[in-house]
Amino acid sequence: MVRGTSPLRIPGIIRPAEISLTFEGQTLRAPEGESLAAALLAAGKRHLGDGPHAPRGLVCMMGVCQQCLVRVEGRLVQACLTPVREGMRVSAA
Amino acid sequence: MKYDVAVIGAGVMGCSTALHLARAGMKVVLLDRGPICREASGVNAGTLTMQMTRAALIPYALRAYDMWLRMAEWCDGGHVLATACPGLSVAFTEQEAAMLEERARIRAAAGAPIKIVSTARAREIEPGLSPQALLAGHCPMDGFASAYLTGRAFRPALLNAGVDLREDCAVQGVDAGFTLDTAAGRMDARRLVLAGGVWLGEMAGWLGVPLPIKTLINQLVVTERMEPVMRTVLGVASGLLSLKQYANGTVLIGGGWQGIGDNTRGGIAVKPESFLGNVRLAAHAVPALREARVVRAWLGLEAETADALPAIGPIPGVADAWIIGSVHSGYTSGPYMGRILAQAILGEAPELPLFPIDRLLAKEKAA
Amino acid sequence: MTAIWDIAVLGAGPAGMAAATEAAQRGAKVVLLEESPAPGGQVYRAPPPGFVMPADADRRAGDGLRAALAASGAAQRLGVRIWGVGGGPLVPAGEAPAPFRLDGLDAEGRPFDLTARALLLCTGTQERIIPFPGWTLPGVMGLAAATILFKAQGMLPGRRVVVAGAGPLLYAVAAKLLKHGAAVAAVVDLASHGEWLRALPALSARPDLLARGAAWRAQLLLKGVPVHAGARITAAEGDAVLEAVRVQKLQGGPERRIEADSLCIGHGLVPAIEASRAFRARHRYEPGLGGWVPALDAEFRSTVPGLLVAGDGAGLRGAAAAPASGRIAALAALRDLGLMSSATHAVASAPHRRDFAQAARAGGAMAAMMALRPALVAAIPPETLVCRCEGVTRAAIDAALDEGALSMNQLKQFSRCGMGPCQGRLCGEAAAELLARRVGGREAAGFATGRLPLRPVPMDALLGEFDYADIPVPAAAPI
Repeated sequence: MVRGTSPLRIPGIIRPAEISLTFEGQTLRAPEGESLAAALLAAGKRHLGDGPHAPRGLVCMMGVCQQCLVRVEGRLVQACLTPVREGMRVSAA
Repeated sequence: MKYDVAVIGAGVMGCSTALHLARAGMKVVLLDRGPICREASGVNAGTLTMQMTRAALIPYALRAYDMWLRMAEWCDGGHVLATACPGLSVAFTEQEAAMLEERARIRAAAGAPIKIVSTARAREIEPGLSPQALLAGHCPMDGFASAYLTGRAFRPALLNAGVDLREDCAVQGVDAGFTLDTAAGRMDARRLVLAGGVWLGEMAGWLGVPLPIKTLINQLVVTERMEPVMRTVLGVASGLLSLKQYANGTVLIGGGWQGIGDNTRGGIAVKPESFLGNVRLAAHAVPALREARVVRAWLGLEAETADALPAIGPIPGVADAWIIGSVHSGYTSGPYMGRILAQAILGEAPELPLFPIDRLLAKEKAA
Repeated sequence: MTAIWDIAVLGAGPAGMAAATEAAQRGAKVVLLEESPAPGGQVYRAPPPGFVMPADADRRAGDGLRAALAASGAAQRLGVRIWGVGGGPLVPAGEAPAPFRLDGLDAEGRPFDLTARALLLCTGTQERIIPFPGWTLPGVMGLAAATILFKAQGMLPGRRVVVAGAGPLLYAVAAKLLKHGAAVAAVVDLASHGEWLRALPALSARPDLLARGAAWRAQLLLKGVPVHAGARITAAEGDAVLEAVRVQKLQGGPERRIEADSLCIGHGLVPAIEASRAFRARHRYEPGLGGWVPALDAEFRSTVPGLLVAGDGAGLRGAAAAPASGRIAALAALRDLGLMSSATHAVASAPHRRDFAQAARAGGAMAAMMALRPALVAAIPPETLVCRCEGVTRAAIDAALDEGALSMNQLKQFSRCGMGPCQGRLCGEAAAELLARRVGGREAAGFATGRLPLRPVPMDALLGEFDYADIPVPAAAPI
């Protein structure tokens, strides 16, 4: 269980209440609506999966590079375009 | 300096013809207004199936199939990742089933080892196939290739054989004898081979020969890499679907759905209705495809004659001029067509009959 | 939805917001389409609902544009993914141009399409990163990406960050990181001190920007952040994720190893021209504007009638110039549609043209600094991946070029570079530069054919529910 308070979240910002989600079975907490890419980064999950020839992690944060692909409920999504919701089950892609 | 032969058009037809002629000792110039195999030959679905081949062309396709699979042996190591696998042509309605049985019978009579199988058997062969299939034609020796590799595959062999390959060198016209007016200046050749795909009609016009060629604007769609969902080459009874999954996991969807374009502009736009229809048909046949994302759609121009049979043989009324193309699913039989045309040009009897174009010429000669 | 819009605006950044606002205020039927759930684009990106961030100059500017947009009556389609563009000249030979058609998936993931008499593309830019050893390590992200991360998500990219690249964004990011408590291990600036000095005269057109830049540098100085000028990242290192970077002066010399868990690196911005390429509008190569840009007249009309392009997607001129360009384009479209008289148009457009000219001047100097530096491409080692989607190394690209692939399309075919899901967005610039060295420049190298979908589109959303009988299968092929 990784606590929601991450040193990467900038203080002084009002955020919605935290929800729980899982990444590769491990429970993480993040404010509802935060981008999944950011939530994973905050939880120290930088390695999001493997491309055919290199590991993948977030690069462009704007839905262009196709490097932040993860699976949410089994479906391939771009983490930077996906807001986190309660109970989301995320796995590496 | 006079070439023994000028081949205009460096698609699979032109490349194969040029290669065989050069290896037989001729001094060959092979010209294309663009890069090698950049048109239909480089962008088609790469389907090497007997079940989308016209019955009359099956004997040719069978021999070409062998050439594609062994390309590295006869093409100095060049290859298009040709893969042998079973092929299934599927019927989803009673009407399609009737069409399928009829077509399978005709194709089998022409030499293709196609048998009708039940849904259960088809799904044993292809677990990815939808249970909604009624029955299927099964051809155990089918296959597919990666068409985009074709240019890269031919190029070294052509150069090794001494072919003068002129890419990005448009031909504007041809005079008697033959003198070619090209972007790189005038060139002389004793013989001429027109291998210009959908532009064959215009090329024939250079020689005053009226040959109507219809241009099809075929759409193709490819997915991103996905986990294995199929292991055969799939089609449907009507011929309007081609489906295969490559070793890298991408799935290529085709079947001749029409987009927007023409000879002048090329393929300029995918038609959303065609795109959607084609992809729906694919997902109907292999439901697991729904998991994928579509990454790109593109267009290729395919030539078709009035009777949808090839234009291969001597050009009537013009000595030492030949034509090759408009084969319909021409990629499948391409390398073999080039071989037999080369035989004819060399004065030998071609292994299998050519397709003389006298039958196609318009009544009035072009002015 | 069968009604036809007067103007469809694609992209709700500063140019798109201003364009839609202007057109709607003047009574046109305008629809603004945007992939994010809220308007703003990248530079004025809105945080998610419920996030409240301290207002800064950018936030206030963005909020101003959003408020005007909301009040204008322009229809907004937010959270949509436009995968297809068509109509205009993309019709069968001999037919008259058609209205523009956009196909997309709405916020719920359902297919929709709409038509418009004019189409204004405000799709902005994307970041360019030239490959270097280790650039695929998780922890290496873009410079603009870092900006989006802290502006829109209120998050730092790492605990100990190296910031690298060129242009003022470098210092903006570094200063912001310091302010919010990250350790900035180094700033690695491709530009030398001399380059910055030479850019000053043009920058003086925007004293506010100049002051901001000076403030950023002062903050770095205060905190003792090392600034390596005229230097580049030679490698990112780490086992499975980033652990350190190596830095070297451009002219060579010893490499320094700097530990970091985050590298924010950007080599400039590139106009996003997928849609204008799909329409076969003419483009030209302008290094000072970010590279390939649509060929536009003074009012942002492309060579395709009814198709206009505004904002940074029309050429890098900076966020300050974008609203003015959007307004100029919107007014031009209205006049061309006959919704505005020439006289009214001239009066309305003049102030925006003045604003644009002034704002563009400073933006231009910055674009020059962020232009692609060929030395970075030359330095890519053979075994470094260029195309990440397809795993194509520099060596494989060089081999394809050696074998005669002398156009971007042919390079794709010979190497598969650019055939993956990102369709060349990550690798295209480096690949084009490598090709350009063989064919005499970027114009000669060209770009790959623009095709649909504009972004990967999930099959099941596209297909929806359907019956087999619904599929309009064409006539059977001949036997």
